[in-house]
Amino acid sequence: MRKLLLAAALAALLPCTGRAQTAADLMKGTQDTSNVLNYGMSYDLQRFSPLKQIDRQTVKRLVPVWNYSYDDNKSEESQPLIYQGVLYVTTNGATMALDAKTGQQLWKTKIDYPPETPRIVCCGIISRGLALYEGKIFRTTLDANVVALDAKTGKELWRSHAIDFKNGYSMTVAPLVADGVVITGISGAEYGIRGFIDGWDPDTGKHLWRTYTVAGPDDPNGKTWPGDTYLHGGGSTWITGSFDPDLHTVYWGTGNTGSWNPTTHPGDNLYTCSVLALDPKTGKIKWHFQFSPNDPYDYDSVAEMVLATLDIGGKPTKVLMDANRNGFFYVLDRTDGKLITANQYIDKLTWAKGIDPESGRPIPTEITDNVRKGQAQEVWPGAMGGKNWSPVSFNPETKLVYANTLNFGMHYKPTTPQFRAGLTYWGADIDWVWPNGPRGYLKAIDPMTGKAKWEQPSDIPRFAGVLSTAGGLVFTGKLTGEFEAFDADTGAKLWQFKTGSGIEGQPVTWQQDGVQYIAVSSGIGGVYALFSGDERLSAVPAGGSLWVFALQ
Amino acid sequence: MKRVAALVAGLSLCAFAASAQPKPEPPPTPQEFAKGEELFGSICSHCHGPHMVNPGNASFDLRKFPHDDRARFFNDVMNGKKSMPPWKDVLHPDEIEAIWAYVRTGGKAPQ
Repeated sequence: MRKLLLAAALAALLPCTGRAQTAADLMKGTQDTSNVLNYGMSYDLQRFSPLKQIDRQTVKRLVPVWNYSYDDNKSEESQPLIYQGVLYVTTNGATMALDAKTGQQLWKTKIDYPPETPRIVCCGIISRGLALYEGKIFRTTLDANVVALDAKTGKELWRSHAIDFKNGYSMTVAPLVADGVVITGISGAEYGIRGFIDGWDPDTGKHLWRTYTVAGPDDPNGKTWPGDTYLHGGGSTWITGSFDPDLHTVYWGTGNTGSWNPTTHPGDNLYTCSVLALDPKTGKIKWHFQFSPNDPYDYDSVAEMVLATLDIGGKPTKVLMDANRNGFFYVLDRTDGKLITANQYIDKLTWAKGIDPESGRPIPTEITDNVRKGQAQEVWPGAMGGKNWSPVSFNPETKLVYANTLNFGMHYKPTTPQFRAGLTYWGADIDWVWPNGPRGYLKAIDPMTGKAKWEQPSDIPRFAGVLSTAGGLVFTGKLTGEFEAFDADTGAKLWQFKTGSGIEGQPVTWQQDGVQYIAVSSGIGGVYALFSGDERLSAVPAGGSLWVFALQ
Repeated sequence: MKRVAALVAGLSLCAFAASAQPKPEPPPTPQEFAKGEELFGSICSHCHGPHMVNPGNASFDLRKFPHDDRARFFNDVMNGKKSMPPWKDVLHPDEIEAIWAYVRTGGKAPQ
């Protein structure tokens, strides 16, 4: 009897994992402040929380309450999810469930992939997170599998193979569950893949549909690719899409062309560097909008498509916002994909004169004309873009988008690569061109003008996700390890805490038993650390861990 | 006499030990350097840094690789080591040879 009582008491102490979250739960987004059930914190990817226990005044009392080692020395970009007191998070090598209040590990399920896999990963060995739905966890693996785990035990329930990694395909994306379908993207545009988006049955892992992001001969837009160039046309899809449940539409960005050299595939190269509006049940493309036709510069457009309702000409309008890698901030009408406005949001941009308001197409400068003739040129922004993958936050109260922007260019020389399965298929030699000053800014951008209300420079650019809250705060982090809080109105820095490695993670916040918590991963190893040659980061050790903060 | 014999034996042991050390290889020709630099740029630079410059935290700083340890380089590239994947089934031996020629220079063109 005593044992029974003890067991009952212990069970009561453990976080409740009884009820499986439903499609209705997933739609609540950040209105449900006790859980974080979506990548981007809600289907609209706004990363804005109405919580305000931590605010401009109290943030100075913010302290770490626990730290959890990932036992991993790779780039830690995963966004945690929280459900009923359990925090779920991924690395490239494991999926973990932790007691969200104490950091106690509840289970850890390791992932094996062949040692050859990192050969076909261009920009860091990464997992960006997971999805939760009806008691299951869904994640992807570097060697291109989609896996479902039991959320209570971590036991693998099904594993579906998307495609052979040896041909350049990999997966780092956090899946999206929309209208009862698990949706995943793919990486590998630098390896000559033909990109796609997949739909899977959450119960069985059955493959439901595949939509190619590089149009083939069976698609009228296939004529934008000469000959069989579409077979290696790129168009990766490595960032999770947003979802409008009312319109039953998923918005998913697509990556750069393969190869980068535009003369190897003259034409618009649909649907690369675009956003696709998809029916989640079938994968059918409802509309597309292409940001950078025949892109030479790796202006990959996978990064987040943020949904909001903005006042456009006195009318509340369902919009999609994108701080595109090409340096322009786009606002589209998401019901039909029509351009509302597109404005430069970075300081230096030399590849285009602007965006034609009627057609939505960029107006190339002489530099881009010369590149399309096969000439070498200096181009701004560089291949990492005006903003890379680091997700922005939109605060519906300030109506500002908080974004970690980049400020460097490149010497670009087109080359003609030969495709070899499993090796890079770049099509250009590049050398970075650095500014005299900060290489990046956290900016508070007006989405309708692209102008910044304030900016916070950083000599080494920030590559972390951004979170904003009703407490008037903006949270993000530095590659040198500082997790930071800024005043959302003025940009004044109010607080920071130095973690043990560089921050490339995606901060989230939730409230549990009356306490507001903030979690972020620390762990350097992404594209800038690997590929910039910035030796100032040599004093930042690798080593992944999760930090959770609350007020003292 | 015994002392002389011992001295000779000692000297020859030293000579043997010295000959077992890896021999420094002659610097690559400009053509070998160019081929290695191109392959490095295409296959290696996105992890090991442009022109072999990187902070050495998330990937190995190859400028610190011993320039006289050919056997270790070939073994690590072919079979992988820690985060380094094995390449033996996709890279040809002459390509690894060219990359080794470039790595031996520390990224600096031979004079």
